Amino acid sequence: MSDPTALGRESRAAARSRSGAFDIPENPPQRALALHRALTAVWANDPGWRGQITAVNHTTLGLRFMATALVFFAIGGILAMLIRTQLATPEGAFLDTELYNQIFTMHGSIMMFLFAIPMLEGLGIYMLPKMLGTRDMAFPRLTALGYWCYLFGGLIMLGALFAGVAPRDGWFMYTPLSGATYSPGINADVWLLGVTFVEISAIAAAVEITVTILRQRAPGMKLTEMPLFAWYMLGTSVMMLAGFPPLILASVLLEIERAFGWPFFEVARGGDPLLWQHLFWLFGHPEVYIIFLPAAGVLSTIIPVMCRTRILGYGAIVASIVALVFLSFGLWVHHMFTVGIPHMALAFFSAASLLVAVPTAVQVFAWIGTMWQGRPELHLPMYHVLGFFLTFVMGGLTGVMLALVPFNWQAHDTAFVTAHLHYVLIGGFVFPIMAAATYWMPQITGRARIRGVGEAAFWIILIGFHGTFFVMHLTGLLGMPRRIDIYPDNPEWIWLNLTSSIFSFVMTIGFALFALDLFLQATLGKRSARNPWQAPTLDWALALPAPAYNFASLPGPRLLTGEPARPALLPLARGEGVLPGAPRGRREFLVTSIGAARPDHVAVLPGNTALPLWLAGAIALFVLLMLSGHYIWTLPALTLVAALIWRWGRGLTTEQDHPAVEAAPGLSLPVHYHAHASLGHTGTICLLFSNGALFASLLFGLGFLTLVTPGPDAPEAFVPGQSAIPAMATVVAGLALGAIGVRLARHAVQGERGTGALWFSAVVNALALLAVAILGLGLMDDPTTHARDALRGVLAGYVALHALICTGFAAFALDQLRRGELANGRTGTLKTWRFWQDFSLATALLAGAAAIMQGGV
Amino acid sequence: MARGALWLGQVLAGPAIWAVTFAAVYALHGTGCAQGWDAMATPVGSVHRLAMALAWGAGLLACGGLLLRFSGTETRWQALPRMGAWIGLGATLFSLFPLIVLPAC
Repeated sequence: MSDPTALGRESRAAARSRSGAFDIPENPPQRALALHRALTAVWANDPGWRGQITAVNHTTLGLRFMATALVFFAIGGILAMLIRTQLATPEGAFLDTELYNQIFTMHGSIMMFLFAIPMLEGLGIYMLPKMLGTRDMAFPRLTALGYWCYLFGGLIMLGALFAGVAPRDGWFMYTPLSGATYSPGINADVWLLGVTFVEISAIAAAVEITVTILRQRAPGMKLTEMPLFAWYMLGTSVMMLAGFPPLILASVLLEIERAFGWPFFEVARGGDPLLWQHLFWLFGHPEVYIIFLPAAGVLSTIIPVMCRTRILGYGAIVASIVALVFLSFGLWVHHMFTVGIPHMALAFFSAASLLVAVPTAVQVFAWIGTMWQGRPELHLPMYHVLGFFLTFVMGGLTGVMLALVPFNWQAHDTAFVTAHLHYVLIGGFVFPIMAAATYWMPQITGRARIRGVGEAAFWIILIGFHGTFFVMHLTGLLGMPRRIDIYPDNPEWIWLNLTSSIFSFVMTIGFALFALDLFLQATLGKRSARNPWQAPTLDWALALPAPAYNFASLPGPRLLTGEPARPALLPLARGEGVLPGAPRGRREFLVTSIGAARPDHVAVLPGNTALPLWLAGAIALFVLLMLSGHYIWTLPALTLVAALIWRWGRGLTTEQDHPAVEAAPGLSLPVHYHAHASLGHTGTICLLFSNGALFASLLFGLGFLTLVTPGPDAPEAFVPGQSAIPAMATVVAGLALGAIGVRLARHAVQGERGTGALWFSAVVNALALLAVAILGLGLMDDPTTHARDALRGVLAGYVALHALICTGFAAFALDQLRRGELANGRTGTLKTWRFWQDFSLATALLAGAAAIMQGGV
Repeated sequence: MARGALWLGQVLAGPAIWAVTFAAVYALHGTGCAQGWDAMATPVGSVHRLAMALAWGAGLLACGGLLLRFSGTETRWQALPRMGAWIGLGATLFSLFPLIVLPAC
């Protein structure tokens, strides 16, 4: 069969060869239908109801994330309507104060944690493998675990709302209001445990998005040539890895304070409520960019397509993403300008807050320039893009106003801030997401939209939004504080609030119409043409809707054209790309190098399984037992979690040697069991990076309470008359010997003689665990005495947990050796363990040094 | 794989220097205010301001060194590390300049 694109591909291959890039020969064409059937048999979800709980496929789970997020968006929107109804009149009797407090807290929490973040995770999980030319995310079971954690965490929070015990302290849960004294009952615990539960999903998504982008791009798709959306998602996922740990730590500390009386935030015992604010906003401000960057990625994808041109300033946009990723971590104190921080520190953060507008502006100008150089066509996604420009730029400008300390002091905690954040979040996230939905719906459903409803929805949302929130700036400038439920003494706010309330209902009608438009398209739309927008990215080089395996063969360098994706569609479907079909009856994709995307090895994925559901269920059990105060019963729940994690690990092992796979003529690649740097290797580094951010936040807390907090004098760190040096030295020595042991085991396993080294490592790690237990339970001061004691107790717990994990790794490796799984270059869990062991040793050393510097021994 | 990771490291080097410098100066600021370093004089100002200025200067020098190191701009692969160095230099210069114009504590 002749191929009209073959000549062009040959010339591109020659050009690549001249530029030093590598080439991969094409596989011979096969029958597309036979390939489709073979791949579907391997990659499809289980049939029936079982398929609903065992699915690990990224297409299914990405859609599930997004659909669930939309449901939570609707619930959060209904709560917003209740708020606006209450505020429509100055003495509204619609809600009492207690219920009003719960509703505004849940509105913010739902929109942030149960809508925005899961929506961006879902978008990334759904789109990235398709855009990058691969078949699934790096860790499909982790995707499923993330989804179930998100769903269960969300349901716990929602259940609390219906039971009348929802959180009521505002979505940033400031202490001391959220402490046990002022928030008795389980309301605050619901937030702390529920949000932390949901954040497991965020960390899981961040790890696999990072690994997928770095290691699974189609061969030849260099980092500097990948779609900009992937750059944005890479920036987002790295920010999530660094940004979520401070909040997780803060939530854990506050929950420990509430449950066990360790006084991290209690002034009378040396704690400081400002520590909560620092940790919260260390997460909270990057969070704004975590939400904005994927949306900006959508814009950078859609605008050039809608304008029939290429994006202007690719390099400048990548540099802007890098700048935003870093700078957004230097702004958190601008949420705390009124708490009494010295002027110089305020000026540092004010300057950084002004500076962050520069990379944002670079992107906005790049998008405007792209529209200027192209031929814009006003399709429905473009309406939402223009809605973004209008709204987000206004929100950005009020952000610059709030970055200035004198203005901030005047507007702090007023409705002006509420208006600003809605301009930024609805402008910077909701409008782009609506653009994304209308752009990719043909890809998702295989159907074209029905004209008219979407345009009407856009205009109603736009008018409703600005009618609601523009006047809210004025309400704030007239002094109305956030979060009040009545204002009988302020008649000057009445007409402004009434206006906001009326337009908010208009906006809600618009969102309902938007949902109707999606529903009509999904159910009644005509069959869509393939690649209806003539887009250049690989997500359109698929059948519509996308099959479970995405690509029958993976695009190699000759098919990465950078031109409208249609030419690649047929050769890929016929198996001319890399790794065609599923001839070995297992789920496979290609793993490539970080920079130039050279083929490295073939990864074999696990199939459908309900294990993620059971693991999420076990974690949910732990959360519910914590909420109900049955703390002792959490130990069996944690044991169940550990057992399921062990079972999870067993699913990754093999007793056989796997022959190399011929991915293309002359390209023979090892299977991941024999690979030097597997996806698990990269994923472990990502997870430890996030773990390091958590540990750094802990050290920050210790430093803050030691240096800045004026509380009562701290008692001695350790029990008087006892030396902690021997126990601390034993902990460090045990972990250090464990690190030596794992290395010896790795070398010994090559010659099949690793048993002694593995037993040695297991014993010394167990000794380290015992020593830290003696230190914490027998030698350290009572952690309820003083905040510093409490933080040192947390440090000891952190070291103990890592010693326990290392002991677990040793036990798992011994089990693997017994089963014959460590041999002939198959190092099993040893490499991952080595990373954990080294990390545990380093953090134990730092924790010990911090304890010595702070409290003496 | 190592080459790609190295390149990513080069792109991130400039902003990372800013992050380290910013964190160091903020930490020195908090520590100095708590420990009364502002009252300890040297011939070129207080110990507090001198410590912060040294950290700031080290950050600026490091970013300058990166700019000299990453001189190529012909391809995107070459240009991005240089852009990263400029981001680091600009951010370090602008966000920490208040330490020479404002009272410390």
